[in-house]
Amino acid sequence: MLTVLSNYLDSIRDNLRLDHSSEKEVIQELETHIEDEIHELRESGLSEAEAADTCLTLLGSAKVVARQIYEAHSQGSWTQALLAATPHLLFGLLFALNWWRGIGWLLGMLVLVLIMAVYGWWRGKPAWLFPWLGYSLLPVVAAALLLLYLPQSWSWVAILFYLPLALWLLYAITVRTIKRDWLYTSLMLLPLPAIAGWFIAVEPVNQLPEHWLQRMQDFAPWIGLTFLALGVTVATFIRVRKRWLRISVLVVSGLITLTMVAYYAEGRLSILAFLILMVVMLLVLLSPALVERTLRHSG
Amino acid sequence: MAKKHELIKGNIDSLLLCVIAQQPMYGYQIIKELERRSQGYFKFKEGTLYPALHRLEKAGLALGEWQTLPNGRQRRYYHITEKGLNILVAKRGQWLDFITAMNLIIQPVSD
Repeated sequence: MLTVLSNYLDSIRDNLRLDHSSEKEVIQELETHIEDEIHELRESGLSEAEAADTCLTLLGSAKVVARQIYEAHSQGSWTQALLAATPHLLFGLLFALNWWRGIGWLLGMLVLVLIMAVYGWWRGKPAWLFPWLGYSLLPVVAAALLLLYLPQSWSWVAILFYLPLALWLLYAITVRTIKRDWLYTSLMLLPLPAIAGWFIAVEPVNQLPEHWLQRMQDFAPWIGLTFLALGVTVATFIRVRKRWLRISVLVVSGLITLTMVAYYAEGRLSILAFLILMVVMLLVLLSPALVERTLRHSG
Repeated sequence: MAKKHELIKGNIDSLLLCVIAQQPMYGYQIIKELERRSQGYFKFKEGTLYPALHRLEKAGLALGEWQTLPNGRQRRYYHITEKGLNILVAKRGQWLDFITAMNLIIQPVSD
């Protein structure tokens, strides 16, 4: 196949952002189409280069074709939407019903999240996997924070051994997710700004852990409500077809959930902290697009 | 006034269902068949055919199946489904009613 035609197919592949098997089928189908077209154009008396040019004109812009095929495939079913929203809804219920203090519930949730994340990864990374994947990384981050809060000797353990390992794991999973579609990385990281907001709101400053637990108890229904809002966001994300709508859904959800945190935290979140969180939220949700571009340019 | 490609775009699903209802076909064959049956009227960007076929497949109106030819090449043939047939019958009825009504109005009135 001529280089211009291969480049055309590569451009479609780069912009499809479908799972591997669907992508392979789409490219194979278009490749067969191009071969048929070129064969007929060559039989009509055109040179190889003329046939390739005519074929590309008849096919139209690779980006437009890829975008339209993406939109034909992107909408998930209601079942997938519910499955994707489930981890947020479960975490929402955990706080709303005040089960977060029960170690049994937390362990059960952790096991379920890990099972779903491994199962989804093994089944070819469907769209519903990414919220589960995000929660499966939470214990890694939580363990790092706990190690930093332990006495000084433990902090060294965290800095020398655990943190590099944890960062490597987070980096590896994030890069693999970005390669599939940067929007799924944003979907995976979606709860992060809200969790950071609540963490700042309940964090004890020179106070005993009992105060921290009491504050968590006070805020629990509102924390639950934030997670339920994230669940609705994820379900909407899965059901809409167009990429710009999906991006809008994530950003608007980030704005709403952080506003909820600031409102229900009853002044424990300063305006400066709120604004910094807004910037962090935009960076967390949109920077994967830049990383994807960098990864593609570096081959 | 609506351009020709906008009229085609609005009716592409019906056109595709009509063609594959006749017999299972692959993408390139569908384009040639549309061109032949419309005597060259229906010519559109070929790249837009596949999003439309995939949309029909996602909606359960068509089914794409890979077939290996005797020369070893593979082609994806699209079949119409039961649901697609029902939709086609309904759309055909709507279209014929529309054409009849349009003709009644658009044709010059003879005294």
